[in-house]
Amino acid sequence: MAKIALQGLAHEYVNPFTRERVRALEDVTLEVDEGEFLTVVGPSGCGKTTLLNILAGLLQPTRGTVLVDGRPVRGPGRDRGVVFQEFAILPWRTVERNIAHGLEIQGVPRAERAAIVRRFVALVGLEGFERKYPHELSGGMKQRVAVARTLAADPAVMLMDEPFASVDAQTRITLQEELNAIARATRKTILFVTHNVEEAVFLGDRCCVLSRRPGRVKALVPVPIPRERRTWRLLTADPTFAATRDLVLRLVREEVGGEDGAR
Amino acid sequence: MSGGRAATGRWELAAAWAFVLGTGTAAWALAAAALPLPAYYLPPPTAVLGALAELVVKGILPLYVAESLRRILLAALVALGVGVPLGLLLGMSRRLADFAYPLLNFFQSVSGIAWLPLMLVWFGFGERTILVAVNYTVFFPVIFNAMLGVRSVPRLYVDALRTLGASRGRIVRDVLVPGALPAIATGMRLGLAYGWRALIAAEMLVGAHGLGFMIFSAQAFHLTARIMLGMGIIGLLWVVLDYVLLRPLEEATIARWGLVQR
Repeated sequence: MAKIALQGLAHEYVNPFTRERVRALEDVTLEVDEGEFLTVVGPSGCGKTTLLNILAGLLQPTRGTVLVDGRPVRGPGRDRGVVFQEFAILPWRTVERNIAHGLEIQGVPRAERAAIVRRFVALVGLEGFERKYPHELSGGMKQRVAVARTLAADPAVMLMDEPFASVDAQTRITLQEELNAIARATRKTILFVTHNVEEAVFLGDRCCVLSRRPGRVKALVPVPIPRERRTWRLLTADPTFAATRDLVLRLVREEVGGEDGAR
Repeated sequence: MSGGRAATGRWELAAAWAFVLGTGTAAWALAAAALPLPAYYLPPPTAVLGALAELVVKGILPLYVAESLRRILLAALVALGVGVPLGLLLGMSRRLADFAYPLLNFFQSVSGIAWLPLMLVWFGFGERTILVAVNYTVFFPVIFNAMLGVRSVPRLYVDALRTLGASRGRIVRDVLVPGALPAIATGMRLGLAYGWRALIAAEMLVGAHGLGFMIFSAQAFHLTARIMLGMGIIGLLWVVLDYVLLRPLEEATIARWGLVQR
């Protein structure tokens, strides 16, 4: 059984400013396997974030079904952890209290909580920053806190919405490699939305290309590169990586119909 | 670290203040001595100090200061205990907030002072009218700002907590209340500043002890030094209240979280 199953998913909404009816998604059918890392790319405005919000349960689809572990999604729940594009950690909680938040909500006892937090602080490399407040951290560190908070709550699937889009290029490369290591270590089922083709191919077991609005699944491209080989140093010279990236890039470009948006 | 620089800055500030106060007082003393005016028009600084000594010795000033402080602190407690929760509640429901916004705006602008004539009819010339007028004045900025504070909490934080499986009550406790704290602090500061002014005005009109009563009743006997003393104390008390009570509160929480930049 697939971990995540989307069937005939469609979403329409009315733009509150223009009063126009917008068809964001149309007939998206997709399955994600247990332990799989699926990246979703597409031109901007193709409904990637809408798709993720529906999966998170923050948005009700107009039509279609969403199953996680065979159960229909009816609202947000702790079985689906989300890492948002903007830094969604609470400014009034320290690093460790932010990471512990999901565990607090689950009622995990204090001592056990502290042990789990320590493990994830180490996993995302934030030792020494446990007592800092978010405003004392860089953008990359804030996003590490958000990733650790989601992982510590131990969700069945992890949903990531362009999590590295608002950090600088150097930090982004580091975070991508770290996330690859985390995916390797935890074997979590991850659905990762991005507009960055290189990132999608670097991280994904498969890469799902969405068409321009209304979004449909245009192609599912497998990335046959083992996780342990995925570092930027190795991949920049890897012919499989280059070929896959060029294929995905071409698919996305067909949808943009131009040069832009296809980085 | 910036500790050294901050300390230097404090000394510079103190020196600047000493200079301004010194020259101001000197100019005042000079004017009082040189200008051909009756003595009660512009009493010299020494006369104000004399009034201070006299009123302290007689025990009048400590009593009036205590009365005024008691009234404003009571209003602060009521605002904190009733106004803040009410404002938070209003902020949590879009429909309630939409409904309450114009009402709050209306009552906030009809100041406690404007209500005084009516309140005198309803509650009489006494303590009750003063308390109602001051509490009214403090109440609305406090409710208003608490409500706006809740509404200004980013939707993203709420969504993030929902995806962690948080209940409604948990979201209120962990996100909405702490997120609204900067606005609550602003509301308390504003409300109490307005309330302090309303208190003095109400004491002047109603006349039952307090600093407002002191300066108003002194006017009948041309006790100008006593009036100036009272005005000085009204201003000074507020500066001290703000400094020792409201600012440390703000610093202990929101400044530490980086929600306000200093």
